[in-house]
Amino acid sequence: MIRLVRAEWTKLFTTKVWLGLLLGGCVMVGGFAALLTGFAGNAESGLPGVGTPEFEQVAFSQATSATVLLLILGIIGMTQEYRHRTATPTFLAAPRRWKVVVAKLVAYALVAVPFALVLLAVNVLVVALYAGARGGAPSLTADNVEVLATSGLALVIYALIGVGLGALLRNQVGAIVGALVYLFVVEQVIRSIPATSGAYKWMPGGGLEAMTATFEGPDLLGAWAGGLLLVGYGLLAALLGTLLAVRRDVV
Amino acid sequence: MRVEVRGLSKSFGEVRAVSDLGFTVEPGSVTGFLGPNGAGKTTTLRMLLGLMQPDAGTATFDGAPYATLPTPLRTVGAVLETAFHPARSGRNHLRVYCRAAGFPLSRADEVLAQVGLTDAGNRRAGGYSLGMRQRLALATALLGDPAVLVLDEPANGLDPEGIQWLRGFLRHLAHEQGRTVLVSSHLLSEVEQTVDRVVIVGAGRLVREGSMEQLRSGADGAGTVLVRSPEVTRFADLLRADGTTVTTEDGTLTVAGTTPAEIGRRAFAAGVELHELRSRTSGLEEIYFQLTSGSEQFAAPSPVAQEAVR
Repeated sequence: MIRLVRAEWTKLFTTKVWLGLLLGGCVMVGGFAALLTGFAGNAESGLPGVGTPEFEQVAFSQATSATVLLLILGIIGMTQEYRHRTATPTFLAAPRRWKVVVAKLVAYALVAVPFALVLLAVNVLVVALYAGARGGAPSLTADNVEVLATSGLALVIYALIGVGLGALLRNQVGAIVGALVYLFVVEQVIRSIPATSGAYKWMPGGGLEAMTATFEGPDLLGAWAGGLLLVGYGLLAALLGTLLAVRRDVV
Repeated sequence: MRVEVRGLSKSFGEVRAVSDLGFTVEPGSVTGFLGPNGAGKTTTLRMLLGLMQPDAGTATFDGAPYATLPTPLRTVGAVLETAFHPARSGRNHLRVYCRAAGFPLSRADEVLAQVGLTDAGNRRAGGYSLGMRQRLALATALLGDPAVLVLDEPANGLDPEGIQWLRGFLRHLAHEQGRTVLVSSHLLSEVEQTVDRVVIVGAGRLVREGSMEQLRSGADGAGTVLVRSPEVTRFADLLRADGTTVTTEDGTLTVAGTTPAEIGRRAFAAGVELHELRSRTSGLEEIYFQLTSGSEQFAAPSPVAQEAVR
């Protein structure tokens, strides 16, 4: 199994997809953190001012905007085997195919840890410098550290969900577009309609919000319960993918 | 290591791709797996390698199905379609499977050298020519130094020099090193000089299994011979006298169902002057065509028939 995990890392780091997604993530997280800090305390924006604990918690949760990129990383990691037809040599090397899915889950969850640390570092750095320049340098209080920890965890879990989703759907473009439409359209509608908003807390977006939300929002699970819910979604997708999709004939 | 296929069947919807197919591939020899396009060759090989699930039947390596082999890449090397990530270099492609199977990464360079790709190893596989892709696929199959080699149409895209090299390479692996080699092709002529045994399939069924010698002996006298002579008419009448099929055109004769030696003997006996005497199709090709004719899944109508429809 360790061999298969290392094979996945070799696959990942011998193309440049990871670099593009990581750099894109840094730009995204840095941009949002800067934007937020810039509008802090602005009456029209409704954001709390720099130096307040409320501002710091919102500002330190900006790395979660990159969850979608780690989701895509996981999806690509699984679906590229079908897109470039390398599923053939991969399954020749590991004819018990569930092992490939497990190896990818482990490999991408572990690789997401340094990715998350880089994104968190960008987040902290931008907020510390910019807010510091505006006269309210944040400190790493226990509450702030907890926000950073749950944000990083959410990033890792979303890479896991991406692998599971890829195993289930197999089609790369379909899986990425489907995931984006679901997260940014379907769930937002469900969240905003009173009749269905009660179900939102049990959904992947609700789980993410439970982990990282610092604002008053809809009814949500606790942070850890939200995280467990997300891990459950990732593993369920991987299990269904292994049972239904991955075992199908490779043509 | 002996490869055994028994009662293998597979359908895709209504289409029966492989039907109760059975054959054996022996070690120490090169076996040709022959049949026209759509005869079920690739489907059979994919079932053999555990990539497709058969509806019925078994395919085993010394009694064990592929999925149960403890070290699959050390046991079987397969050249199927050429599947690479276009942005990954050939060397890194090989390293991925070194990692997966636990081989030292130096194996990647060894097999690159073995197939003559050392200089192209660091280039993106997406930029490889068809022939280079085939060589990289072969290198992937050789990583584990396997006892069995399975190749699906490996000559596709290779230049004549590459085909020559592949022939010698496969014969060396089988004859000198005692490995089991199964190589598929839709052209008998392509593998005629390489293979010791043949398994011929048509429409998913076994048509003929045996040694090349057996096939050749059955093919004796089945070829067509071309004759050029200033005395075409006399010679044609002479040949026709005992029922031989002869067609004449522009001073040449085409004689079916014979050998150049037989025609030469008869010309000499009758004192007919010959300007050219050569085999147009070998008996082997005729036999192969007869064995598999009518079994093409996607046979196009002949141009003559199309003309008649208009």
